[in-house]
Amino acid sequence: MIRLGACALAALTSLAVGCGGNGDDRPALVIAAAASLTEALEACADETGAELGAELRFSFAGSDELAAQIRQGARIDVFAAANAQLPAELREEGLLEEPVEFATNELVLAAAPDAGIKSFDQAAEPGVVLVIGSESVPVGAYTEAALGRLPEAQADAIRANVRSREPDVKGIVGKLTQGAADAGFVYATDVRAAGEALRRIPLPPRARPVVTLAAGAVSAAREPELAHRYVEGLTDGPCADALADAGFGPP
Amino acid sequence: MLSLAARTTLGDTELDVELEVEPGECLALAGPSGAGKTSVLRVAAGLLRPRAGRVAVGARVWLDTERGVDVPPEERRCGYVFQDYALFPHLSAWRNVAYPLRRLPRAERRWRALELLDRFGLAARADAHPATLSGGERQRVALARALALEPQLILLDEPLAALDARTRASAARELAAVLRETPVPAILVTHDFTEAAQLGDRVAVIDRGRIVQQGSPSELAAAPRSAFVADFTGAVVLAGTARPGPDGLTRVELEGGGEVASTDAGEGPVWASVYPWEITVEPAGEKPHGSALNWVEAEVLTVTEVGNRVRLGLAGPQPLAAEVTAGSVERLRLRPGARVVATWKATATRLVPH
Amino acid sequence: MSSRRAFALALGVCAGLVVLFLALPVVAIFVDSSPGALLESLGEEGALDALWLSLRCTAIAIAIVLVAGTPAAYLIATRSFRGRAAVITAIELPLVLPPAVAGIALLASLGPSGILGGAIESAGIRLSLATAGVVVALVFVSAPFYVRQAIAAFGAVDRTLLDASRTLGVSEARSFARVMIPAAAPGLAAGTALALGRALGEFGATLMFAGSFQGITQTVPLAIYDRFATDFDSALALSAVLVAVSAAILLAVKLLVRGEPLGGWGTR
Repeated sequence: MIRLGACALAALTSLAVGCGGNGDDRPALVIAAAASLTEALEACADETGAELGAELRFSFAGSDELAAQIRQGARIDVFAAANAQLPAELREEGLLEEPVEFATNELVLAAAPDAGIKSFDQAAEPGVVLVIGSESVPVGAYTEAALGRLPEAQADAIRANVRSREPDVKGIVGKLTQGAADAGFVYATDVRAAGEALRRIPLPPRARPVVTLAAGAVSAAREPELAHRYVEGLTDGPCADALADAGFGPP
Repeated sequence: MLSLAARTTLGDTELDVELEVEPGECLALAGPSGAGKTSVLRVAAGLLRPRAGRVAVGARVWLDTERGVDVPPEERRCGYVFQDYALFPHLSAWRNVAYPLRRLPRAERRWRALELLDRFGLAARADAHPATLSGGERQRVALARALALEPQLILLDEPLAALDARTRASAARELAAVLRETPVPAILVTHDFTEAAQLGDRVAVIDRGRIVQQGSPSELAAAPRSAFVADFTGAVVLAGTARPGPDGLTRVELEGGGEVASTDAGEGPVWASVYPWEITVEPAGEKPHGSALNWVEAEVLTVTEVGNRVRLGLAGPQPLAAEVTAGSVERLRLRPGARVVATWKATATRLVPH
Repeated sequence: MSSRRAFALALGVCAGLVVLFLALPVVAIFVDSSPGALLESLGEEGALDALWLSLRCTAIAIAIVLVAGTPAAYLIATRSFRGRAAVITAIELPLVLPPAVAGIALLASLGPSGILGGAIESAGIRLSLATAGVVVALVFVSAPFYVRQAIAAFGAVDRTLLDASRTLGVSEARSFARVMIPAAAPGLAAGTALALGRALGEFGATLMFAGSFQGITQTVPLAIYDRFATDFDSALALSAVLVAVSAAILLAVKLLVRGEPLGGWGTR
């Protein structure tokens, strides 16, 4: 009976340990990237993986959450954020190698198809339901920056219409496609990724924040050589093309 | 008076009974498990609706399937003591008893409940919860609760079955006293014929859904209509007073005259019981043979053949029943009117406190 | 060492590991930050809003679950009817659904684009991005916990108690309240505690269905998630409060039930 128990325990343990390892002999590269990069990075994953001779594993989430995980010591090799601040912070804390700005994005107002929102001014109209990002997430911080550059009355009216502050940009898109909200502040690349589902409304030129994406190899990476090459590939390689296709601007 | 008739299907058995119980009378419904005894009680209480039937207590008709009358249980006023007593576990003893007294003002409810509990000697346990009461105490609380309703009919389902042997005797005594006092009809269900004989004024034997014989306990024992009834009725039961005897045996002076001895210990009022097949019958006038110690003179009343056995109903100081072979009947020329001597051993005589 | 002692030791080690694994994260919440910092973070407006919202929505959701779920559980437990097994499975299904799937399910049925979305909107009811939506999500995820326990609890109550109550002059409806519910109380209380815990901690389905907005839909778990990357102390403080509130509720429920000496008699 005890022997059976010991065997079971040993089997479970090796399973757990084995879960960490990969199915084949290629090294694994863990890339933590902002949610807005999902479509682009997944599109170039196969090619880049073959080039590097590694198996690429992605973790897409809000950039702030990923930064927190790196601070807690999670096993991540590359960090690609939706802003330049978070990589700079991590660099200062000695957790990230020198970050590289690899793309730019545009903050836009996305409207649900049957919401009847056609111009930016309508966002300030009473009764319009808006969804934006939480302040701690880059897309939310960019939105705050944009609102700060608008006339106070307009900014206040827009803020009064906000009904949800989502922890990541996919949540905002979800609310729009579900018809739960009329419009939301997302990236241009998200509107593109949603295909025909969302209407893209540019912000007034004065209010447009500079959205710069930066990435770096994590200092404690298991595969520092591969991590560096991946980060370089973001500006020059299949991934650079994929980013352009997805609607990202050059750095 | 209760009159009940019910016909319905229970599993593979077809229940078909008709019975009447006078006010103040207790009818003991006796039979083996699965005979349908509990179902009869449930029909009377309104918990089971038969395919066809009629239940009336006095002028009140509780059930009449032909006329579409079916009074729900909560309106019938039946005091039902369930086999496991069904005391409400979250209520104390007195609250259990007070449960049916909803119409009375609060203070009066507690007072009446305590009064009833006191009658059963449980005043000291009024605040105890059922889980902390003994089996005998629970039975009395259940009985008190049923009586608190001031019922028009009392139903008891195996009221002594859950008690241990020692408690059973005193509980039987108390129950018999209660039944004697209540002026309403009562039906008591049991699988034990001795219990039926002790507590019931009349006994109805039920087997596979049908009442096969009704009558006084001694009638059933003396003249069973079937082998089933014969086997079921078991012992002959004699009432008497016991006192310890000189030679270690207990002497029992029988009511109506005569004395028997028993190897059981006992003192005071007792039931002396013996099985009919342990009684030997011999013609009167001859001295008893063998080492049997008990003998009673009697006259043969009935001779009933039951298969290859013969039940003799004997009229002595108290009614007796003996079981002999057909051959003995022939040999001893046992016919109604014949004078005989019934003998049996002291070791075959069991004593149960009365 | 004899095999008996070895077995006892192995059992002890397993038990110890389990307790440690479950207790350590909870203890860490309270130990990782100073009490002063915790209290300070709590005073912040967003945190109090989240707490108040969580308590309100959970209370309403549990009330709905109890009022609707208790008679339903009684019916299922005491009557046999066609499709009973299917009904029980349908009730238990949300139990095994991951919160994300629960969120999708709610959106697909009651969301603005969902099956009943149009009807709900025309009735003038706002669920998405509204407090009512939070309550709906909480009811959906916590009801199965309660109803399942309640069915088992009512099923275990001795049926003759109901018979006895009826013969004593109390109708079935009133007997349900005066006898069956008290007799089933321990099981009902356990189910309530489970449902409470589940509702307080609900996160995924609420976020997807109702969104996250301070004071309207941002419950404590959402507030924790919002803060943990940028203000870990605040997240810790909120977590500590949630643990304390959950523990208090659990304790209260246990005490409430302990106060009734129900034992096992009459409820075989």
